[in-house]
Amino acid sequence: MRKTFASGLIALLPAVFVPAAFAQEADTAPTVELPTATVTKVMTAAVDGFIRPGYDAFQKSAEDMTATMRTLCAAPSQANYDAAKAGFGKLTASWAHIEIVRTGPVIEQNRFERILFYPDRKSTGLKQVQAVLSKSDETATDPKTLATKSVATQGLGALEYLLFGTGSDTLISGNDFRCRYSAAVAENVGNVAAEIAGIWDAPDGIQKAWKQPEVDNPVYRTGGEAITGLLGILVHGAEAVRDQRIETFYKGADKAKFPKQALFWRSENTWPMVIANLDGLSELLTTSGMVELLPEKDRSIVAATEEKLKSMSALAGKVTPDLEKAVEDTSERQKLDTLLADGKDVISKLNDGYGGAIGLSSGFSFADGD
Amino acid sequence: MVWCGETIDRRAFLKAAGIGFAAALSPRSLYALERADAVFASGFRAPDGSFGIATVSEQGEIIDKVALPARAHGMAFSSATGRAVAFARRPGTFAMVFDPTREAEPIVITAPEGRHFYGHGHFSPDGTVLYASENDFDGNRGMIGLYDGRDAFRRIGEFDAHGIGTHDMTVSDDGSLLVIANGGIETHPDFGRTKLNIDRMEPSLVMLDAKSGALIQKHQMPSSLSQLSTRHLDIAENGRIWFACQWEGARNDTPPLAGWFSKGEDIALLSLPDETTARLANYVGAIAINRRENIVGLTSPIGGASVTLDAKTGLVLSEDVVREAAGVAPAAHGIAVSSYDGQFMKTRSAVAWDQHIIRIK
Repeated sequence: MRKTFASGLIALLPAVFVPAAFAQEADTAPTVELPTATVTKVMTAAVDGFIRPGYDAFQKSAEDMTATMRTLCAAPSQANYDAAKAGFGKLTASWAHIEIVRTGPVIEQNRFERILFYPDRKSTGLKQVQAVLSKSDETATDPKTLATKSVATQGLGALEYLLFGTGSDTLISGNDFRCRYSAAVAENVGNVAAEIAGIWDAPDGIQKAWKQPEVDNPVYRTGGEAITGLLGILVHGAEAVRDQRIETFYKGADKAKFPKQALFWRSENTWPMVIANLDGLSELLTTSGMVELLPEKDRSIVAATEEKLKSMSALAGKVTPDLEKAVEDTSERQKLDTLLADGKDVISKLNDGYGGAIGLSSGFSFADGD
Repeated sequence: MVWCGETIDRRAFLKAAGIGFAAALSPRSLYALERADAVFASGFRAPDGSFGIATVSEQGEIIDKVALPARAHGMAFSSATGRAVAFARRPGTFAMVFDPTREAEPIVITAPEGRHFYGHGHFSPDGTVLYASENDFDGNRGMIGLYDGRDAFRRIGEFDAHGIGTHDMTVSDDGSLLVIANGGIETHPDFGRTKLNIDRMEPSLVMLDAKSGALIQKHQMPSSLSQLSTRHLDIAENGRIWFACQWEGARNDTPPLAGWFSKGEDIALLSLPDETTARLANYVGAIAINRRENIVGLTSPIGGASVTLDAKTGLVLSEDVVREAAGVAPAAHGIAVSSYDGQFMKTRSAVAWDQHIIRIK
């Protein structure tokens, strides 16, 4: 229900919520005006074809990881340790696929940071995880109490250090505390994933708000707002790949390089994460059918964007996982330079190309407010 | 530094800005500048995606424009010194002080380590101090940086803004008070422009002693309005401080979007008609007061509207449909309005006007 906050000409604080009849539709000039039926079709495809399956898959990966960790804890061995490390790769790739959605329940109640605390320039996570290990803090081995601790100790960053960092090989011979802490992290991540998936699955909740923009909608009042929001996922997701995941450690040949600031450099999952991010962007763009909202003359921008995302994904798969080498070797650096340039191109195609085609005269980012 | 996806270091910025201002103002532009009854300045985006600052006549015609290597946001002007400043859009780390007549070399100010500009600032009445809203991002607190206008805008200190997500700020006419709009939204340059605390925002309006930085008064929003981001300010002739807001809560709520307060008084929230609130789409992007006519202008790019209020009563005087409405400023008569799609008063230009306008004459 719509809420109004004050009555009378001037309301002195504290204001009071006063339910009111819906305002009559004002004579507005919305920036983006799109056909309602097509907007609903696109938003439904985005929610049911990408977002909800993405969170469900992530939850399943976290549950699988929890089971794998329990197996390792019960029977420490090289094989079970290797299975745990492989499971971490699957879990992080599953997260990266849906991580591009940086809106909705995932950014409420610190859920995003609880899953992944990054960037972490001051190595807060490393210090806190090491402190937990040195104290053998039992509260970190129970997902319930772990969930109340620092976000840096309870997510994928912590799990990576536990499985790949200094002392991780003790898991083979049976480091009980480290293993139980790892299992608790996996379960905690699964719990957060389940929360998010549950919120998206509620039929009258956010999924309905996304699929059916209307005047009395708590998220999107018009189709234009909904599609602008969907475009925002793509623009911000592409910016995050370029600015947060690559430029964090490499901004160009003549700039300072920080290979150990890269996400998941220890486990060599930096590029698998980037690839899964890019594939997620590509899948959302394709699955949603956003192209249908464009005039025929502008539709090639979508195919060009998809093509560029795919070529970036393929190129990311060819960069060495050894990031020290990647930033020093000339031929490897050329790949990084290409990824940065292509990333900029993708952002421009979405921002100015798609954004301009739906009516944002200066592109999405220019109009994203301040 | 990240400005709209572009990474620009200080040297590159200085070089680009210096080239932009190297040429003297053309005789034609100088004539237009002197002849105009009112002159404005605003940031813009050119069709090729480049950015700049333009001076504009009251009819909306571009008098002069200078390319910038990155996007600017808010601006300020000192009538005492004739200098203007354009601040980087958050999380930018540069601000450029310039002379609209191009008689003086521009000066580029760099935010110190651990700080970035929030996009707004204001000169002291005599123009000797420039105040800038800044983010102490690791400390997650808003700050007001102080820069010495008599010494090449060297940073000479800072005050705690007593809030987070500091955005617009202004100075009382007598220079004794700083008034600050803390939008309440946490951001960090590591996360670009991502809003990190929408579900636990802390918006506030703050008044500081301009000399000491001492807190004089602070108004926090009640819990029911904790998602009402207080973002932009202007001061009326009688000293009343008007503020404009952006609602981060449910889209189908009808929150107050503007209000006022004065020294020693509580804040008053303006209850606009529901239809006006709907027209503003719960988002006011800019506010400006025409003191001579005692009117307040508000714009909403999302709703595509400009609204004029009576500054004494808060009553709506007029509402206009302005697609992608951007900046507002006091005009010789009424309120000057610009738009993202190039409209500035009566003139459409091949630029996208940025969110704010200042009047420099």
